[in-house]
Amino acid sequence: MIMRTSSLTRLAALFIAAPTLAAAQANKTTKRAAPTKLAAECTWKPTDAWVKRQAEFFDESKHDWTNDSLRTLLLTAAGLTPPLKAPVNLGVWIEGREKPLGPGADSAIALLKQLSRQRGSPWPTRSVAGGAGAHALFLIAQHDSVLLGTIHRFMEAGPVESPAVDVAVWEDRLRVLAGRKQIYGTQFRVDDRGKVVLAPMEDSAHADLRREGAALPPFKLGLCLAGVWKS
Amino acid sequence: MRTPVFLAAAIGLSVAFPRTSASQAGKTTHVSLASETAGREPKTFAPLVGSWVISKEAGKNVLFIDGRVWKRGQPAGGLADKARELYGARNEEFIESIKAFAYFPIAVYKGLDNFENGEISVRFQMIGGTLDRAAGILFDVKPNGDYLTVRYNGTEDNTVLWTFNNGVRKFVNRAPTLVPLELGTWHMLKISVHGTQLKSWLDDQPMHDYTLPHAVSGKIGVWSKTDSMIEFADFTVTPMSK
Repeated sequence: MIMRTSSLTRLAALFIAAPTLAAAQANKTTKRAAPTKLAAECTWKPTDAWVKRQAEFFDESKHDWTNDSLRTLLLTAAGLTPPLKAPVNLGVWIEGREKPLGPGADSAIALLKQLSRQRGSPWPTRSVAGGAGAHALFLIAQHDSVLLGTIHRFMEAGPVESPAVDVAVWEDRLRVLAGRKQIYGTQFRVDDRGKVVLAPMEDSAHADLRREGAALPPFKLGLCLAGVWKS
Repeated sequence: MRTPVFLAAAIGLSVAFPRTSASQAGKTTHVSLASETAGREPKTFAPLVGSWVISKEAGKNVLFIDGRVWKRGQPAGGLADKARELYGARNEEFIESIKAFAYFPIAVYKGLDNFENGEISVRFQMIGGTLDRAAGILFDVKPNGDYLTVRYNGTEDNTVLWTFNNGVRKFVNRAPTLVPLELGTWHMLKISVHGTQLKSWLDDQPMHDYTLPHAVSGKIGVWSKTDSMIEFADFTVTPMSK
């Protein structure tokens, strides 16, 4: 089955959305325009390796996390409703088009900051808050400069505990915010003419190797989803 | 305590490869990968832990550690089979060791039995890795699997000396200078050992000047970590007398 616009519309609620959809949503408030359709080549299948890897990480059928209250707090703050359907993260981050956080975000940020200051504190990785909880942490952290610096907690926890795709987007964002070039090709900005452009990147020649390792879609697909590349 | 039996056994294996010895002091060996086959495991190096393959980069053979394999939870390619051959019914214990060791992929250079003093250098290019982008020179590799490594990690921008004893990795010394390196660009890591004096350089920039607790004596090679994707080339060794 090829997933198209209808699936993406659902994913828009998961914060990482194609800009065409974001633009369509923005238009809704003023002109109630019909959602913009993505180009036919901006598609993927559930059997694609990167989608399967995301599906494996975010599979919560075993209910094997340990802290339900923390998980609920994070999910509410991030505006997520599990189960999350893969792909959870398309790896398209457009600066300035972030979805606002949900209710209780301030409490969640305060708690996470407190946890981040305590050495050895349980960090909401997969075994603590489930895959959805870990993804919620990623989304919340993008809204706070202190929490943005906690990416190392995910890195140290390893690939079983931390969503590789979120870590990749997060690292790219930190690099761009620090004035460095991104390495996965997940960061976009809107230029003066309102056009979405890829933020500066290093070693784009090996981008697909890195993206495969991080369960991101192929680079071309990422660019297509962002509306940057057209066949 | 986990005993690195597989490493000890593998290092002890006799390999059909021309070897040099410490007696060839002062002679520089530039390890060529030209006769290797792209897409296959290297013959020049023994890939004991991790998925090491020969890869083509700009038409030249390079040694590639592909950390994507580790991320998928697969043990090192071929080593599980070797475990079954070597240990039969005990292979489960062996495979468990591999999983633990797969955190730190190593490939041992087959052409030198014992390195005590001299210089080792290697060029490396970081390709990727979400958790780590680590390229290291492996040395002082003992028959029981203990070793030392000086490595650069692109996720931390630092150069660090680590020791690995009885299956446990320990931090020894971090070079004071942080050096951010771009992915997809070639860089040189080099160490010199004279008795217990260890020095290291990153692109000719001094990194370590450190006194080891004991003199170095063992095999050498290249080192990496977790999901790192690194290309190595131009591995060069110059054994010297003290």
